[in-house]
Amino acid sequence: MTKSSSDLQNDDREAPAFSLETDRGSVLIRPKCEPELFENLILDDGLGHFSHYSSIIQKLDSFQKFALRKDGRVSLAIKSPDVVIGYCIGSYPEPDDRWSALGDLMYELAALEISRNFRGLSLAFLLLDQTMKEDFFEDKITYMCGYSWHWDLEGKNLSGGQYRNMMKQLYGKFGFREVYTNEPNIALRPENIMMIRVGARVSTEAQMKFRHLRFGMKPK
Amino acid sequence: MLTDYPKAIVTKDGTSVLLRPVTEYDEKELNRFFSEIPMNEQWFLRHKLDEPETLHRWIERLDYSRILPIIAEREDDRKIIANLRLHLHEAPCILHVGHLRVMVHPAYRSQKVGSWMILDCIKTAMDMGLEKLIAEFVSGVEDAAINAAIKLDFKHEGVLTDYIKDQNGIYHDLIIMVRNLSSDWSDF
Repeated sequence: MTKSSSDLQNDDREAPAFSLETDRGSVLIRPKCEPELFENLILDDGLGHFSHYSSIIQKLDSFQKFALRKDGRVSLAIKSPDVVIGYCIGSYPEPDDRWSALGDLMYELAALEISRNFRGLSLAFLLLDQTMKEDFFEDKITYMCGYSWHWDLEGKNLSGGQYRNMMKQLYGKFGFREVYTNEPNIALRPENIMMIRVGARVSTEAQMKFRHLRFGMKPK
Repeated sequence: MLTDYPKAIVTKDGTSVLLRPVTEYDEKELNRFFSEIPMNEQWFLRHKLDEPETLHRWIERLDYSRILPIIAEREDDRKIIANLRLHLHEAPCILHVGHLRVMVHPAYRSQKVGSWMILDCIKTAMDMGLEKLIAEFVSGVEDAAINAAIKLDFKHEGVLTDYIKDQNGIYHDLIIMVRNLSSDWSDF
């Protein structure tokens, strides 16, 4: 059974779901979706494989895996009644990830994507806005890694540098700033970007540990 | 984009270093920095910032829209350990080009400080919408800097043979290197 948008709404969260009317139909912005939600949805065809670009998430199962993780977060933009047209995913870093050395201090916004068919509606901003409203993030160094090989430069008709600027402006609105690191994937290309937001309750000592970790020095 | 500064890096020996634009308050520390550059290297400075009066005039006329000067300073004692200048142009025909010059204190040359500064310059230039960065190096004198630039995808674009003369009257080639910033779609 396909749920209606009203069924999808749930007030039991810090940032409630809300819908907005757009020139491309009614869109529901739903933060922190429950794992059982995804089986009743479908992915828009603007998320998928393209000649120069592939979506990070191509199966609904992947949403469920993230939502089931400890403190995993999946926020969705859903075109009424059941089409996923955008998503924002957050979770702790993988165990083999450099940033996992700092335990639960580090929290990754692992993916943010809007369907090619629904860009220009500020949905990325709205998804981030709803995701980042939680007090949870004040105890975290929240980070995002932007790799140019994941960017839809063709679809956006932007150069790597222009796309990087777009990311900086978008995440900058939520208190993120670029930091440098010698992490090999980030360092591979200058347009790649790591941005962080330091929560209000993160200690100076923890920030210094993270700074050293960025340059390959593990915390003692 | 200057609001992005200061930017932190950590050198190979664990020293925390901040990159930030030069301000009028940096004159004294910049004087010390340039005075500790070996004489045989000061010779090659195109803009004689190793001379206190020249540096004073230069600092008085700081204009980030023409020259963006970035320093690397140790976070613990605020000692300046490197200096990079990104020269920008007003003429429309070369508005898309920036020239960079970089100098690292001899004690920090094996710490990749210069590489981080050049990378920071590349990112800043991208954010400014520049399309090309040009760096000029004296062959046989700045070979370490040439190698750092190569690792950051600068390409040899030309050589001015015997363009530079050192204090002993020996000629050196000037190596012109270019980093294109306007790459298109990912090649991955």
